[in-house]
Amino acid sequence: MDWFNTRDEPEDRIAAPLSVSELSAIVQELLDDSRLLDIRVRGEVTNYKHHGRGHRYFSLSEKGGGSTAAVIRCVMWRSDADRLPFAPEEGMEVVVNGSVTVYPPHGTYQLQVRSMEKAGLGEKYLLIEQWKKELAAAGLFSQDRKRSLPAFPQTIGVVTSETGAVIHDIQNVVLRRFPLKIIISPTAVQGEGAHAEIATAIHRVAGLVDVVIVARGGGSFEDLFPFNHPDVVKAIASCPVPVVSAIGHEVDVTLADLAADVRAPTPSAAAELVVPDRADLLLRLQEQKVRIKTALQGRVAWARDEMLGLRDRLRPQKFSRRIGERKQYTADLAERMDRAWATRIGRERLLLAGMKNALDAQSPLAVLSRGYCVAEKDGSVVKGVTSIQKDDRLKIRFYDGTTRVIVERVDHD
Amino acid sequence: MTETYETKIERLKEIINKIEDGNTSLEESMKLYEQGAVLVRQCETLLAEAELKISTLSRDA
Repeated sequence: MDWFNTRDEPEDRIAAPLSVSELSAIVQELLDDSRLLDIRVRGEVTNYKHHGRGHRYFSLSEKGGGSTAAVIRCVMWRSDADRLPFAPEEGMEVVVNGSVTVYPPHGTYQLQVRSMEKAGLGEKYLLIEQWKKELAAAGLFSQDRKRSLPAFPQTIGVVTSETGAVIHDIQNVVLRRFPLKIIISPTAVQGEGAHAEIATAIHRVAGLVDVVIVARGGGSFEDLFPFNHPDVVKAIASCPVPVVSAIGHEVDVTLADLAADVRAPTPSAAAELVVPDRADLLLRLQEQKVRIKTALQGRVAWARDEMLGLRDRLRPQKFSRRIGERKQYTADLAERMDRAWATRIGRERLLLAGMKNALDAQSPLAVLSRGYCVAEKDGSVVKGVTSIQKDDRLKIRFYDGTTRVIVERVDHD
Repeated sequence: MTETYETKIERLKEIINKIEDGNTSLEESMKLYEQGAVLVRQCETLLAEAELKISTLSRDA
């Protein structure tokens, strides 16, 4: 608008003066531009004030040629400020997300910030994503690589800062659960070069222990950044003994966590995973003790039962039954023999009777009974008259007795 | 704690299983029980005598 030329315009063409609020409304309307809404702005934090009510007031400025080239006032309301992942500081290079708004009571415009991150953070996120892809492609996060932890480690290595709560937390848990040998491999856990130190600390302790805990307390994304470095991931993956990671809080997952054999939510939890609970072991040992005793008692009882069973089988009743069986058998045999004998005797008797009859039929007595008689001279049977002479004394045998005679005469036929 | 704790516990479990298994003779079972009792005592001692030892490696090594 050309003020000088406007002066020459006729009086009736001059507009009535605007009220301030009207002007303010126009400015507000002009600023209602998509180029000014929900935008990302990078700059240096200056004049930072943390208001008592939780709101944050500051400016974002840009340096150019040694002096400030541009500046914009910013406000971050408490509701948004509460979600800040870090405490902004004077001079910090940040990237904010927000919209330009007008504040009519002050006649100012400002950037109303919804969220803020440290500058360079986006690049770091991208870097992690890139490393993650590469290391995953190399198989370093593969589930197949995961080793199980030793049930009863002798010595555990702890890679962490020698100062700070982490090492104390781990010591306390180990002392409470099962005191054993701890070898601390100290290292810086944040800042420039920390990744190389962590990797070295892992290598240094790996050969001396049964399991390694790599731990760090909670911290910002940037604090934990070294634990995403490929040097650390490779050191964990190539560690000859299992590695338990406990880095940051449970929500923070670093690439080191992905490479570790086991990931624990906190350093204390890592220690709990690594050392068994002595009280629990004692309890289980007691159970074993009872079990082995019960087992032996059971075995003895079983042996006794077996013995009793055998003894039962040896009982006299069983014997006598068997003897009875034998007796019966013997009696049966005897009876059979008797019967056979009787049969045989009967037959023999019949035979004998027959023979006796036959014999009787041949007996001289039987002949005598039919009326014949036998003459004997001097004890011998007289078979013919040639052997006797007159006056021989003969004995004549009848079937029922004898008589003595004297020969009167002998006649030859 | 030593590696032998694990081996002792494993051996103890084997012994119990053998005794529980009826195929092991009574005499063998009693011998096993004696061995088991010794193992239990040794394990108890190992647990009781554990102590915390902390050493810190040099960063220069």
